[in-house]
Amino acid sequence: MFDLETQIHSWSDHLRARGNLSDADIHELENHLRDEIEDLIVAGLTPDEAFLISVKRLGNVVAISHEFAKVNTESLWKHLLVDPIDSLAKQLNRRDITLVVIFALLAGTLFKIPELFGFGLLDQDGEIKIVFIKNFSFFILPFISAFFLIKRKSELKTWVTILGIFILAAVIINVYPSFDPHHTEVLTIFHLPLFLWLVVGATYIGREWQGSKGRMNFIRFTGEAFIYGVLVMAGVMVLFLFTLVIFQAIQIDVQKFLAEYLLIYGGCAAAMITVYLVEAKKSVVENFAPILAKIFSPLFLIIMAAFLIVMIITGNSPFMEREFLIAFDLMLALVLGLVLYVISARDIRQPANLFDYLNLALILTALVIDGVALSAILFRMSAFGITPNKLAALGENLALLGNLAGLAWLYIGYFKRKFDFSKIIKWQTDYLYVYFIWTAIVAFIFPIVFRFN
Amino acid sequence: MNVSKDLVAASATPLILAILKENDSYGYAIIKRVKEMSENQLIWTEGMLYPVLHRLEEHLLIESYLSKSEAGRQRKYYRIKESGLTELELQKKQWEIVNNALARTWNEESNS
Repeated sequence: MFDLETQIHSWSDHLRARGNLSDADIHELENHLRDEIEDLIVAGLTPDEAFLISVKRLGNVVAISHEFAKVNTESLWKHLLVDPIDSLAKQLNRRDITLVVIFALLAGTLFKIPELFGFGLLDQDGEIKIVFIKNFSFFILPFISAFFLIKRKSELKTWVTILGIFILAAVIINVYPSFDPHHTEVLTIFHLPLFLWLVVGATYIGREWQGSKGRMNFIRFTGEAFIYGVLVMAGVMVLFLFTLVIFQAIQIDVQKFLAEYLLIYGGCAAAMITVYLVEAKKSVVENFAPILAKIFSPLFLIIMAAFLIVMIITGNSPFMEREFLIAFDLMLALVLGLVLYVISARDIRQPANLFDYLNLALILTALVIDGVALSAILFRMSAFGITPNKLAALGENLALLGNLAGLAWLYIGYFKRKFDFSKIIKWQTDYLYVYFIWTAIVAFIFPIVFRFN
Repeated sequence: MNVSKDLVAASATPLILAILKENDSYGYAIIKRVKEMSENQLIWTEGMLYPVLHRLEEHLLIESYLSKSEAGRQRKYYRIKESGLTELELQKKQWEIVNNALARTWNEESNS
């Protein structure tokens, strides 16, 4: 059915996205469109006919914004003299690229500095030393943060706060001792990057870090950065293997050199380039993460429903080792990812569509499966005692469960038309706090609680 | 007959000021009024009208305010200011000069 309101909204969204029009301008034009439509409807046209004709009469969006720029002499003057062919944007772009190159070199060199003092990256067995793995995030994430701090023209206070968090985290992590079997240290290795990534998120969002719009953008950014990062890194690997093979053909072994330079500098460059690319293209192309999510969410739903049915029929309860609990954590994280990226690409004003119902089905199935798994782990924990690993896995599970349960509840309310979609987005973006706090607890407080063993 | 673009642009300011002198109005209604008064000869586009309105507002000749329409929608109305009225008088005189000059030359043409 033709919904006039939705059509008008998407028309003005289009205008907003294309032209350099202010909100007031758009509001005025939208009113104009409505007047035109009303007149045409009075004259006997149906709403969809009236809408089409009115839009056509208003002219295409590009032409409108062009006219606006033309008659507005002030900006005409800017276009002609100060701003030939968008030179400001070009200058900024050049600056960003310079930053990317410098930061990639700095990050790579930072990896090499300990080596100068006889403290190499690899131990005798050719494995990367655990100290490096633990500190991995500190070699690259501060530079990404700095990139955004510069781009967002952050104040000195923000710089100090962010740098302070990085330095404090680095000091704490390295002052902590670690005893066999290094459980808490391993937990730190997994949770610290997540924690610091959220700190990077604060710099990415900039001033409006408390608003859900900025946070949603950061979630989108994370998804795109992940996909781009994998692609760029695959490119680095291809280069690595190609160089290796081609030099082997003339009996020269370049593996050591490649591993020490190409992989390190290439890796840092890949990370910086990814960040730059995703940031630069932001609004140019359709995001890819939501497309992936839409392809896979029905498939995951089928598999999980099948799993649930088989589990009920056979009566096999999931065998609750820690590894399995982690598997269920992963399931929840995946479901959350799928749901989140479908949401992220959604226009809040659009009515509920198929993917919203799929989302809810996916969440509910995940909740049921996880409920069974949780009851098993809780039973085992009470019988066999608590270890840091089990507690961390359990904590993750509860955090994700809370997130999904909240989403399910809000979705149901949304379908019942109790509240609108923005509430779901607000819940999800606010929930980032929980992850921030939980990862901080595991990375910094667990080692103390469990006496660093 | 199509009036040339330059002439449309030049006459936009006095026409808008004159219409707003009659009573406060908004974009869509102004276009309709112009169409009506020119007997369908002058058809303004939105892309032309709104920038002119905004420029007049910037030059403090007119001012805008939000008000509810009959349908209950927030609409941006424009009102003429004192300086706008003075400007309109000035424009009127200028157009009269042009108009008189043109009329005289054309009369001489037809007389000769």
